[in-house]
Amino acid sequence: MTPFNLQIITPDKEFYNGETENLIVRTTVGDKGILARHEDYVAALPIGKLKVKIDGSFRIAAVSEGIVKVGKDKTVVLVQSCEWADEIDVNRAKAAKENAEARLKAAQKEDREYLIAEYKLKRAINRIEASELK
Amino acid sequence: MASGNMKAIKRRIKSVGSTMQITKAMELVSSSKLRKAKEKAEAGRPYFEKLYEMMTEIAESKKDFSSPFIERREVKNRLFIVIAGDRGLAGGYNGNLLKMALSEGENGEDKPKIIAIGKKTIEFFEKRGFDIVGKYPLLAETAKTADCSDIATIAIEMFKKGEVDQVKIFYTTFVSPLVQNPVSMDILPIYRDEDGEEVPGVITYDPSPEAVFNRIVPKFTMSLIYCALSDAYASEQSARRNAMESATDNAEKMTEELSLKYNRARQEKITNEINEIVSGANALQ
Repeated sequence: MTPFNLQIITPDKEFYNGETENLIVRTTVGDKGILARHEDYVAALPIGKLKVKIDGSFRIAAVSEGIVKVGKDKTVVLVQSCEWADEIDVNRAKAAKENAEARLKAAQKEDREYLIAEYKLKRAINRIEASELK
Repeated sequence: MASGNMKAIKRRIKSVGSTMQITKAMELVSSSKLRKAKEKAEAGRPYFEKLYEMMTEIAESKKDFSSPFIERREVKNRLFIVIAGDRGLAGGYNGNLLKMALSEGENGEDKPKIIAIGKKTIEFFEKRGFDIVGKYPLLAETAKTADCSDIATIAIEMFKKGEVDQVKIFYTTFVSPLVQNPVSMDILPIYRDEDGEEVPGVITYDPSPEAVFNRIVPKFTMSLIYCALSDAYASEQSARRNAMESATDNAEKMTEELSLKYNRARQEKITNEINEIVSGANALQ
């Protein structure tokens, strides 16, 4: 398969910049596979996983909310955080999940606290799931 | 009398010397922190720029979409996100920025709500009786994107619910190692150029340009706060380094002057002693 350039950028660093043969992302409307010479395309990404095919095998990463932008010769994924599944610290994710659950219980449903805790819980669950997929 | 004076001068030299050691150490610490802070500020830029580019693309390709983030309301309530330091001894860094935010705050009918980042900011606005909706002490040095995301969420929710009609951020931007300027920037509502021609884009948006735009804005806000925070932290370190550098220089000059004074006093004392001996010997003859 023809490789194309993929860039994964998070707010604090460039997470990945290199060739890939196939990128599979979960957008807000469903899974989307991107190959070389895809049309110009932009989609929103919820918290989820993405798969990047490098040298014939897929690598999974856990991402949280962002955007994917497919351009002429370059695909850019902008996400708030990104971690390769095999590099996730499961214990930390589990601790974060418990912490978020506790905060969620303490907060009122209309509170900002609730919103923030809910988001943290979703992220923690996503990371735990991704680490089990590797 | 001369010997008493000498003792005092000696004590003074010692005290200036130990102050100088402290300022010198602080200068070195700030230099190394500055380097790290600048790297961090640089690393955050690509994300910010890419988001900005996408937002502009959407705004240009479609002129008539609605989004809660571009809605302009009469400004009745404002929210200020103010970033200053946790510690003093940084020249005018804290003072200049807080003064600027305060004068903007007083320039209006409402008393703005404040999200305060840095201990100095919290103290400053608490003392003046502002409504502080978020307090973030000791954040700047170790700021993670998750922290900025929390701040962005608060700001966006308040804006969406109509609790505030405008969100502004105040921070100090790093121009050069010698120049740091306090600046303010509007975050919400997002400014959109409504004139100009619609440039039909060829990009497919999933599910729609509006949805993507509304998705981008919170991320953009978060990234903007993150970049501002890194920028402000670099400015703080730079300001502190400069302040400490001039303090060290002053201390050096002072030690020099005091040494001169000390030597003069010493010489005077010896001369006096010789005088006494000579006149004593003369008296014996």
